[in-house]
Amino acid sequence: MDEFITVFQNRQDMLLETTLEHLQISMVSLIIAIAIAVPLGLYLTRYPKAAEPVIGTSAVMQTIPSLAVLAFLIPFFGIGTTPAIIALVLYGLLPILRNTYTGIREVDPALKEAATGMGMNSIKRLTKVELPIAMPVIMAGIRTSMVLIVGTTTIAALIGAGGLGEVILLGLDRGADINLILLGAIPAALLAIFLDLILRVFERMSKKAGIKSFIAMLVVAVLIVVSPFMFNGSKQPDLVIGGKQGSEPEILINMYKLLIEEELDVNVVLEPNLGKTAFLFRALQQGSIDIYPEFTGTAIVTHLEDQAESNNAWEVYEQARQGMKEVYGMEFLEPMEFNNTYAVATTEEMAMQYNLQEIGDLKQIENEITAGFTLEFNDRYDGYVGMREVYDLNIADIKTMEPGIRQNALSNGEVDVIDAYATDSYMIELNLVTLDDPENLFPPYQGAPLMRQDTLEEYPELEAILNQLSGKITDDEMRQMNYQVDYEDRSANDVAREYLINEGLLDN
Amino acid sequence: MIEFKNVTKVYEDGTEAIKDFSLEVREGEILTVIGPSGCGKTTTMKMINRLIEPTTGSIYINDRNIKDYKINELRWNTGYVLQQIALFPHMTIGENISIVPEMKKWSKKETTKRSDELLEMVGLDPSIYKQRKPSELSGGQQQRIGVIRALAADPDIILMDEPFSALDPISRVQLQDDIKKLQKEIKKTIVFVTHDMDEALKLGARICLMQEGRIIQLGEPKQLITNPENEFVKDFLGNRNSPWQITVDHISDKNIDNIIFASTYPAGNYPTQGIYVLVDESNNFVKLLVNGETVNGKTIEYDMTLYDATELLEDSDQPLFPVLKEQKVVGVLTYRRIFGYLKSKADKENGVIR
Ligand SMILES: Nc1ncnc2c1ncn2[C@@H]1O[C@H](COP(=O)(O)OP(=O)(O)O)[C@@H](O)[C@H]1O
Ligand SMILES: [Mg+2]
Repeated sequence: MDEFITVFQNRQDMLLETTLEHLQISMVSLIIAIAIAVPLGLYLTRYPKAAEPVIGTSAVMQTIPSLAVLAFLIPFFGIGTTPAIIALVLYGLLPILRNTYTGIREVDPALKEAATGMGMNSIKRLTKVELPIAMPVIMAGIRTSMVLIVGTTTIAALIGAGGLGEVILLGLDRGADINLILLGAIPAALLAIFLDLILRVFERMSKKAGIKSFIAMLVVAVLIVVSPFMFNGSKQPDLVIGGKQGSEPEILINMYKLLIEEELDVNVVLEPNLGKTAFLFRALQQGSIDIYPEFTGTAIVTHLEDQAESNNAWEVYEQARQGMKEVYGMEFLEPMEFNNTYAVATTEEMAMQYNLQEIGDLKQIENEITAGFTLEFNDRYDGYVGMREVYDLNIADIKTMEPGIRQNALSNGEVDVIDAYATDSYMIELNLVTLDDPENLFPPYQGAPLMRQDTLEEYPELEAILNQLSGKITDDEMRQMNYQVDYEDRSANDVAREYLINEGLLDN
Repeated sequence: MIEFKNVTKVYEDGTEAIKDFSLEVREGEILTVIGPSGCGKTTTMKMINRLIEPTTGSIYINDRNIKDYKINELRWNTGYVLQQIALFPHMTIGENISIVPEMKKWSKKETTKRSDELLEMVGLDPSIYKQRKPSELSGGQQQRIGVIRALAADPDIILMDEPFSALDPISRVQLQDDIKKLQKEIKKTIVFVTHDMDEALKLGARICLMQEGRIIQLGEPKQLITNPENEFVKDFLGNRNSPWQITVDHISDKNIDNIIFASTYPAGNYPTQGIYVLVDESNNFVKLLVNGETVNGKTIEYDMTLYDATELLEDSDQPLFPVLKEQKVVGVLTYRRIFGYLKSKADKENGVIR
């Protein structure tokens, strides 16, 4: 508990900001969902034949996992708030649509007939009779949708839309830090409760004041919520640099920014902590980000769907550079020194007990140990698939899990070996041992700036600027910097600046 | 006033609900439409306010085709009372009543005045009931509101589709009495659909008896009773008509032996023996003459049921009662007539009296 309070105090500013973002994204999505679903639902009550296919479609949309929807939207809308809101709106449609439709349809036919018989036209009947009677049902749909949206908005952080998901993702990234996760999750729940309360008040007021004032209130709400967006858009960035989840990419992109702004008069905006690799790559292709640091190994294996032809770091880089240029028309500048390759890691005790030095040494205990691998590692050739082939391993028990929680599982003794990234900071904190890879199964994973050709054509100076980092930053330096951000709570910007100054790349 | 000319209605599924139907509803009358379930009563009625459109033929109101009226105005001027009552549950009683006046753009003051007036007319205190929600009222009270909601904007025509059939017997009789009373005051043209013969007889100035989409007999209640067109009419009346429910004008003695004109005896030298009813030139009741003496005497309204009439007669030793319709003497009721009538109605089967 004390720990939680400390975390809360340290992160107050971030919490406030992300809560506001969360509120804003959820509200805008909810209001758009209402603005689409209520009229559509009303329309469908007049044309019931169309109702089934339309409601069916929106039901199908809700079954698509939110991550898939986001991935699907990036090529069209890039990253950031817009695709997040679109995805959330798609999610929120169904409950409102269905409740509006059934709410109106279930109004007693005798009441509809009475209204018509008294000489109300279709619109009057709707606003004076059907809507007020169906209101509780419609509002129930809106509230369901609201809870759904507020919950799903946590995913929006994966594509740089912000919100409380940022805090939760950070917690997951920091080895499933329970306090950080709670710090994100509790306000999200409170937000849902708070909005539910507001909606109830809204409903009560509309009952008293009628449908017209309800619509008026809705318009006011839209204006209040949307206006910050309108003023925000004024300053367009020249370059957007994205980064994957975690401290390492964040430190790197801060270095890029510092170096670029030192030399060029451009406005660089950073989008750190973006979700999965595929999201970033699509966003780069689509143009909502211009540069992000990618690993040479990932470029070959994931983007080019190929295998490294060599285990020499420079040759791997050359293969990646040429491939990215030919296939995607992208420029891959020179890599830094550190090699964040996959590694198989275990605890010091384990290594001592069984005298483990190489990956192949696991063979002798393959039936007794449990491995904790990421889904991705488990499924890749330069991962466990290759380990089986090259080192003839067949580990009896494998648990797949999110990257952020492997190290805890290992230190808790739930698993005995994990896959790790060579420069991850917990290697230091938890005193882990990495097993050698004499067969060079894991290709080098060196970080280097990846960008579209047109970006480089527009800013040719970028090549010289960013290549200043070429061959810089050793494994150990990178690990130390990650450690400072993850465990000493320093900001990525400070750490990046300090390094550049020490290296003489940046004036004080 | 309302005229159906060769109207037919065939529903989409091919049901022939109304077959070559012609009917005239007179201004200011209550016409009760009755017949077995599914004979087309509701269809007939809903064609008047265009909730249902005829397949062929036309309907006229005041000699103008109803299609030539603006549909809203047609409906504003045609009050509509449903069997399901159908008060809007989210509105107060006051709001329910004000709907049509508001659509007709009456001023607030007028609307308020009108709804207070109507509430008082059906015996509900406006200061208490106007703010209530329909669910706070009993079924009978609700349908009273249903009726005055239909009356609110002072329409010329009122359509009622089995309005009282969902109510308990006591409320039903009360509301029937209310309608009769109202009709006397407001003189609307009312089309009243019912499947209850007693109700049809009690309320209808004329009764339209339907079967399978056609009119079988149209006429005043007593015509149906005294001159049934065929077995179907007889069955329909017989099955449902308790002898006690008949209205007194059907059994009163129309023989004028006991009625004398006051003007025939200018000096007041009336006959000194016997009982007579004194009337003036226009047949208005003046007094009762008992053995040469004039007394006020008790009179009976022509549309009173026999049952109600006997209650009145019970504590009177008057042997003869004038039956009045709007003060005019239309007949005389005596105990002998009542006995005769009741005996004629008693079913005797195999020597067993039921
Ligand atoms: N919407 C409809 N579609 C098809 N048939 C109908 C419809 N409404 C009524 N009918 C049929 O038309 C006939 C007359 O119905 P209705 O006017 O409701 O009779 P009533 O009111 O006398 O009981 C019945 O046979 C009924 O089943
Ligand atoms: Mg009916």
